[in-house]
Amino acid sequence: MLRYILSFLRIIATKMLQLLSSRKHLIENVLRIYIKTTSGSTLSIEIDPKYDIKQIKNLVASKIGAQPEELKIIFAGKELGDNIIIEECDLGQQSILHAVKIKRNVPTDQSSSKMKPLCEILDDEMFSSNITNSRSNSFSTDNEVINISNSVMLENSTIRSKKIHFYVYCPTCKDLKQGKLRVRCHFCKSGAFTVHADPQNWIHVLEPKQITGTCENNPELCKDILQNKEPTFAEFYFKCSEHISLGETDQAVPLDLIRPNLKQIQCMACLDTSDTIFAFPCPDDHVMCLDCFKQYCLTKLTERQFWQHPEYGYTLACPTGCPDSFIKEIHHFRLLDDENYNRYHHFAAEEFVLQSNGLLCPQPGCGMGILAEPECTRISCQNCKYVFCRHCRQGFHIGECDVVENNDTAGQNFSCESDMNYNNGNSGELASRTTIKIMTKPCPSCKTPTERDGGCMHMICTRAGCKFHWCWVCQTEWTTECMGDHWFG
Amino acid sequence: MAALPRRIIKETQRLMQEPVPGISAVPDDSNARYFHVIVTGPEDSPFEGGLFKLELFLPEDYPMSAPKVRFITKIYHPNIDRLGRICLDILKDKWSPALQIRTVLLSIQALLSAPNPDDPLANDVAELWKVNESEAIRNAKEWTRRYAMDN
Ligand SMILES: [Zn+2]
Ligand SMILES: [Zn+2]
Ligand SMILES: [Zn+2]
Ligand SMILES: [Zn+2]
Ligand SMILES: [Zn+2]
Ligand SMILES: [Zn+2]
Ligand SMILES: [Zn+2]
Ligand SMILES: [Zn+2]
Repeated sequence: MLRYILSFLRIIATKMLQLLSSRKHLIENVLRIYIKTTSGSTLSIEIDPKYDIKQIKNLVASKIGAQPEELKIIFAGKELGDNIIIEECDLGQQSILHAVKIKRNVPTDQSSSKMKPLCEILDDEMFSSNITNSRSNSFSTDNEVINISNSVMLENSTIRSKKIHFYVYCPTCKDLKQGKLRVRCHFCKSGAFTVHADPQNWIHVLEPKQITGTCENNPELCKDILQNKEPTFAEFYFKCSEHISLGETDQAVPLDLIRPNLKQIQCMACLDTSDTIFAFPCPDDHVMCLDCFKQYCLTKLTERQFWQHPEYGYTLACPTGCPDSFIKEIHHFRLLDDENYNRYHHFAAEEFVLQSNGLLCPQPGCGMGILAEPECTRISCQNCKYVFCRHCRQGFHIGECDVVENNDTAGQNFSCESDMNYNNGNSGELASRTTIKIMTKPCPSCKTPTERDGGCMHMICTRAGCKFHWCWVCQTEWTTECMGDHWFG
Repeated sequence: MAALPRRIIKETQRLMQEPVPGISAVPDDSNARYFHVIVTGPEDSPFEGGLFKLELFLPEDYPMSAPKVRFITKIYHPNIDRLGRICLDILKDKWSPALQIRTVLLSIQALLSAPNPDDPLANDVAELWKVNESEAIRNAKEWTRRYAMDN
């Protein structure tokens, strides 16, 4: 009897599973999208990706009480022609199309049937050339290229016909993803916007007011917003292609230096040729595969070799030393794992404090940035409450700094035996503090703790902005006396 | 130990197949990141006729970090200290992952042809090189004969 019940249950369970899986199959063929109309309403419709725009118009027209011929369907900066199949547009689940009612009854433009959305029109030719690569003409005259065999040239041309990929950092997925290019009105931010020309390069996409267009949402207002002093401009942005759209404000940061490896360039570090590369912003095709780029960032971070760029922030340049090759979009460093990205932020903040002539709290595990008046010698940390002397970074004291070794530049030595009372010291903290001092000493110029790695007493501050040459023994600037007396210890 | 990166394998193969004239670099039998290097003293330099042994080690994060190179054979040179460490910018802050073992060894060879006593890293050798070059060169030749010509 029990066995009978069990097998009965099993049959039911299998049936339910089948039902579920077939239902799932059905759902996969349905695209849920939103249609925004110029009256401000949003329709939610489920469609078959095989539908064409004509069918969409019929569907929308019946719902808003209009004639299908009166409607324009706009997506990603383009009016979609009647023959376009939804599948051909790069629509994701819950994408938004815009339906605009035409005021006058204009006969359907024949050419519009060929119109495809922005993302379809962009092909590799336009974006493969680097923005700084004004030498694209000289490309074919390059000796190296001439040497390339015919078969490789053929391969390249087939690669060129592939669709372009954009890479973005998606704050929702918290990862590097492929992105989709989208456009909206620069003034009213409406997606009911058609562009007058396709963007040809990254400048058109990343810089404001490069491409003009027509706002279909509020044509009068957006045209006249500056009393016609300016045309209506397009504003480009990116969406993550992997997660379901979370609405119009859901955006991703374009990582413009991550590109498909169209020219099949070797990674400068591992010498492999990978499909996706990081292209340094220099004209010499210096590229790394993404794994090597991450490793490069990690090494430079650990060595404190990032630069605090006045415009871009804490960043890196091409490792071959190409001029003006700093990475502008610092979200590229999001490729670091979470722990190291936090370190990146931490170091960036420290660097900023140091460049603003601030100090870092010397307490282990604190490192709080403190901006104090230059004449103030008693510094107190708001974070850990440590009160210390500006010159020797020990607990605050009155009178001369406690200097252990003979030294003409007072206050540049750390003393392990100084007054610890100020640290309301637990012994563990003191122990670690002592070890830190044995392994590292602060750079006499910028106070960044520096580890001595070899036998040499000649230290060069590893902080990119400092590079001070100093002596491990004297803890002052490196001199010829140091060379003679204790270069090797 | 982790698998040897393809980059190191490629570089090693190339060093074997197309050796740099005047330089031999052979990986150690037990450690493929450790190279036994021999550099012949360049012609028209005080080191001519000498065979200089060096050791070269590729650290874990090579090529993000520079190789570590040291002279084993004693050498009288203003940019090389008595422990054999070399003062060469591309081994320090001018290192780039686009450089290779080959470029490093070529630069060391060039350093033998053109000692640079004005480099901030200098010692008594550098001092002598500046104040009395002919005596410094005599010393260099003498050291080459004494340490780099036997065996
Ligand atoms: Zn995403
Ligand atoms: Zn507008
Ligand atoms: Zn690589
Ligand atoms: Zn470069
Ligand atoms: Zn603190
Ligand atoms: Zn003090
Ligand atoms: Zn420093
Ligand atoms: Zn000293």
